[in-house]
Amino acid sequence: MFAAAIRRSSTRALVARYSTSTSSVNPAEIAHFSRLSSEWWDESPSGEFSFLHQMNPVRVRFIREKLLEVARDAQENPPLNVLRGMEVLDVGCGGGLLSESLARLGAKTLGIDASEANISIARLHAAQDPGFASSLSYQHTPAEALLAESDKRYDVVCSMEVLEHVDNPTGFLDTCAKLVKPGGHLFLATISRTALAYFLTIFMAEDVLRKVARGTHTHSKFIRPEELTEFFRTYPNTESPWVRGQPTRTQVEVRGMVYNPLSSSWILAPRDAWGADGCNYVFWVRKPNI
Amino acid sequence: MLKSGLGIARRALGRSLSTSAHEDWDIVIVGGGPAGLALASALGSSQLVRESLRVALVEASDLSKIREWTPAEGAFSNRASSLTHKSQTFLRDIRAWEHVDETRTCPIEDMQVWDGVSDSRIEFSSSLLATELPMARMTENLNLQRGLLRHLANVPQVQILDSSRVQSIDHPEGSNWPLVHLDSGRVLRSRLLVGADGFNSPVRAFANISSFGWAYDTHAIVATMSHQPRGAFMGPNTTAYQRFLPTGPIAFLPLSPVASSLVWSSKPPLVAALKASEPDVLATMINAAFRLPDVSMRYLHDLILDAHASGSPLAAPQVQAEVAWREKSHGIDAMSAYTSIRSTVQGIPPADAELLPPLVTSLQPGTVASFPLRFNHIDSYLGEGGRTVLVGDAAHTVHPLAGQGLNLGLADVECLSRCIEQALTNGGDVGSRTALLPYAQERYLANHKVMSVMDKLHKLYSTSFEPVVWARSVGLEVLNELDSVKTALMMEASGKDTPASPWDSAATVVENLAGVKNVVGTSLSSILRAVSSRSK
Repeated sequence: MFAAAIRRSSTRALVARYSTSTSSVNPAEIAHFSRLSSEWWDESPSGEFSFLHQMNPVRVRFIREKLLEVARDAQENPPLNVLRGMEVLDVGCGGGLLSESLARLGAKTLGIDASEANISIARLHAAQDPGFASSLSYQHTPAEALLAESDKRYDVVCSMEVLEHVDNPTGFLDTCAKLVKPGGHLFLATISRTALAYFLTIFMAEDVLRKVARGTHTHSKFIRPEELTEFFRTYPNTESPWVRGQPTRTQVEVRGMVYNPLSSSWILAPRDAWGADGCNYVFWVRKPNI
Repeated sequence: MLKSGLGIARRALGRSLSTSAHEDWDIVIVGGGPAGLALASALGSSQLVRESLRVALVEASDLSKIREWTPAEGAFSNRASSLTHKSQTFLRDIRAWEHVDETRTCPIEDMQVWDGVSDSRIEFSSSLLATELPMARMTENLNLQRGLLRHLANVPQVQILDSSRVQSIDHPEGSNWPLVHLDSGRVLRSRLLVGADGFNSPVRAFANISSFGWAYDTHAIVATMSHQPRGAFMGPNTTAYQRFLPTGPIAFLPLSPVASSLVWSSKPPLVAALKASEPDVLATMINAAFRLPDVSMRYLHDLILDAHASGSPLAAPQVQAEVAWREKSHGIDAMSAYTSIRSTVQGIPPADAELLPPLVTSLQPGTVASFPLRFNHIDSYLGEGGRTVLVGDAAHTVHPLAGQGLNLGLADVECLSRCIEQALTNGGDVGSRTALLPYAQERYLANHKVMSVMDKLHKLYSTSFEPVVWARSVGLEVLNELDSVKTALMMEASGKDTPASPWDSAATVVENLAGVKNVVGTSLSSILRAVSSRSK
């Protein structure tokens, strides 16, 4: 009963925001990140995006291991470089932290971002590295425009730390989901709407420690993991949703990411670790194979 | 200071040339010593690295001399290290150990460490450990380097550019990728530059990493010693001996049944005098230094120093006569192991023979050398902005009293290659700060711990101040009776499953005694202050 109440209220939260605007891009958010774009590749502890740099290996590990797990369900000994040759789209790529890693693992990667400054920085940084021949490209476009302009669909669509910055999460999720090939994968990383998340990501990170620029996060825009799972129970329709019944690990998965300030590193919490998804988490869902 | 000034000038020179064409590499290792070669081997042994990275090793000298090193039977190089379990396991894991000539190495099964002033003693034995492996294995550095080079000969993915001197290192405008300019005119641009280039590391100068440290007022003298084999009633020559004299420790490390390695740290003038004296004098002095009471050693030191200063060095018979006279006056039995004026050991050995190393009969020609001791640790293992990292002696120089320098370097290499593989698995840039930070965090703390123990040990044992001698001796003797504590200490420093180096364990034992010196010192001085203020 309680669960049902949460389900109803969370769906309402998503719908409420959807109704206020039709495009997911928030001009204020874009301006905010454009201002910070030159700092994307400053990895030092004082760097604006040092948290993201430290988090990146954990996100990549989750993507790689999940894809490997799925591949193992299909065949006995899949090649370990599971991303090799896959078509990957990184929505909201920022300076290209995730895109570069995925391209290095052999994926044909396209990074897109609504901020032109971010795309310039990402291109500039990738140009220094002789390792990316044709495996990595960037495009300045919102996801909606990319969906509209071409029929190209991707094996993997990633959107990391973006969902909490868009105006219209259901519309954004719908766009991302449509960009996934049948049988493909959607990976998201975001922050849950909890008191803990407010304390850590806004009060501590922005106000007290000043590790992250003020105004980076807005608590009301955070989304709980169960809201995401709930969304895909009725998406694209109630007859053939992405997630049905008791969700299994072949349909959807949520894993918490916990920061250890002593070693300044992130830990990917084990499956079902109690409370680990109360702040930062990664989310995976698979598009049915039809 | 001068060195770094030169570095800046070179860098400025390099910048003007940096427009020339360059080759792209993923990892460039500067330095072909044991640490650099071990890193190249470790990287070359990883399939992931072989498939995804281009690795080059740059060395100024001609490595074919080491590759073709063929020492005469029974002759040993004077630079040997006691490789710990952990180091050996690592070398086995990367499949380099199979190229090391194991017949030229020697296991250390037991260790005897004693106080030169009080004679209190601690013994470590491999039998305390529930493992079949010896505590450590004495290995000539050249044997290890040759093994690593042989291993690398099977790994074409790792290129060795020897007889290539690094002329300058710089980076192009607006990029932090280092450009390494070689004297051949080649320019290597590298994703990651590794400095394995020793104490005066040019890579460290390029990366602008400062270090802190000090030189001890101590030099070490090394040599390969020949001696009689152990008698039929005694164990094999697999015991390491170390006596802490107030002038510095003297160590006897087995290499074969009839050869062992000497590391004797002492005051610089004495080391100079010993090195200058004829080999038989030095051999006699080594035997005496393990046996005679400290008061007589001090007398002999003065004798050697005076003779050296007056330009008429002593002859071996003179020193031997002096030692014989001193033994008599100390009441040392002519049949005991503590007498050093006896050429052969025959029949049943004296009861205390196992407590002392065999008598040195001669020194292998050309093996006597000396070097200053220093303590040095860099402030950061990573260059600013990433893309530069230091390993081995480039990062830390340690007091050699426990033979830990090479082991620390190999531990650096093991950790760095692990971090590089980890980064590759997750699509990381192996030159980025994010990929290298775990290396810096893990090794800085681990190395600092061992280094400060060595430093405290040096200071604790360089005194003959009575209360300190008493306290450290009682501590040592009590600990010696507690086998379980000793075992725990031997297992502790190197993690769960592999025992620590014996030297490391001994160091840990006395580390706790190091506090004693301060306590005794402060309380005595406060008593003195109290007394003197009362008398006023």
